[in-house]
Amino acid sequence: MPAMTGLTRLLSAAAILLTLASCNTTEIAAVEEPAAVPMTGKTDDPAPGFETVSVGTEEDFILNVGRRTYFTQDSSALDSVAKATLDKQAIWLNSNPRWLVKLQGFSDDSGSASKMETLSQKRADAVMAYLVSKGVDPNRLWAKGYGNDREVRDCTERSCKVQNRRVVSNLRTERDAT
Amino acid sequence: MVWTRRETMLGGLALLGANALQSPALAKATAYFSGPAVDNGVTYRSTNFANIDRKWQRQVVKYFSSEPIGTVVVDTRHHFLYLIMENKTAIRYGVGVGKEGFKWYGRATIDRKSLWPRWTPPPEMRERHPELPEFVEGGSPKNPLGPRAMYLLRDGVDTGYRFHGTLEPGSIGKDASSGCIRMFNEDAIDLYQRCPIGTAVQVLPHIAEKAPEVSQATPVATPVE
Repeated sequence: MPAMTGLTRLLSAAAILLTLASCNTTEIAAVEEPAAVPMTGKTDDPAPGFETVSVGTEEDFILNVGRRTYFTQDSSALDSVAKATLDKQAIWLNSNPRWLVKLQGFSDDSGSASKMETLSQKRADAVMAYLVSKGVDPNRLWAKGYGNDREVRDCTERSCKVQNRRVVSNLRTERDAT
Repeated sequence: MVWTRRETMLGGLALLGANALQSPALAKATAYFSGPAVDNGVTYRSTNFANIDRKWQRQVVKYFSSEPIGTVVVDTRHHFLYLIMENKTAIRYGVGVGKEGFKWYGRATIDRKSLWPRWTPPPEMRERHPELPEFVEGGSPKNPLGPRAMYLLRDGVDTGYRFHGTLEPGSIGKDASSGCIRMFNEDAIDLYQRCPIGTAVQVLPHIAEKAPEVSQATPVATPVE
């Protein structure tokens, strides 16, 4: 059993490190998510809530539909891929009318901070207009742009930038202040 | 009573059908597919996930690593493809790894994606199988790429590495004789939606987390006591 103990110790050390690492992402988590619970366990374990996924749950939406719509640089236009994602979202939302959706726009493009905020708002508005055009009740939706002020990561490489040019469709049970 | 030739044939076919149901291998192969589905105007056979091991089905798992959100990590040995999400989670897809899938490891980006891509068999494959055509049109039921292909480039140069669909759902979770990273067609469609052009990809023999269970693995770090 000493090997086991060593492994357990290693795992708890890893858990502590992960907890520490998650500190600087708290604010980010608050933007996109309810506060993140420090994760324990190991890779490949089912994520919390995803042990079994029932139709109509937020987990179902995340796994089988997808919350993110992506944009190209300096654009708030919906391309065919974005529309395909939103078509799936609209179908799901129309069959699960209990959910409200907060549409959070982000940007990481060229220009000033205020320009970024405008662009992120335009992206969120474009998503909202499209969902409404597909029959989702506008009273269930609200859109907010976060600019590049509160982006997921501060990064320069292209792969990070493309992740930041997005709108996240966050399911809510009630409206919040923002 | 004398059977006509036609009746004999029909009888034979019926027997064949009955045998097919009794033969587990054949029954299983047929059961990998359920009804038709339509994607971008193309009708294809949908995967019968009721007959697919849950291990290979798309699911959200814990994933402890430092890769940023949106990165795709391929663990070729364990036949998993991970799309990193927030809060130490990832969407995990079961994949089949073909011969071409073991030829290259490293970092790249998804720089090109296509819907129902045309398939051009590589020259060496046509040498082995001269009956193969020069190319197979996209959307053809004989096109092994299926509904989507995502092409990996490194610094603008094609690595030859691709993620694509499959004609053989039974090959997911296994090493296949050809192809790169095969996914269930539904998963190839799903991943395509979630990976914008520019998505970072890491192709690994196996993920670091699983090093202890891989005998030939090089030690990553020595635990400090």
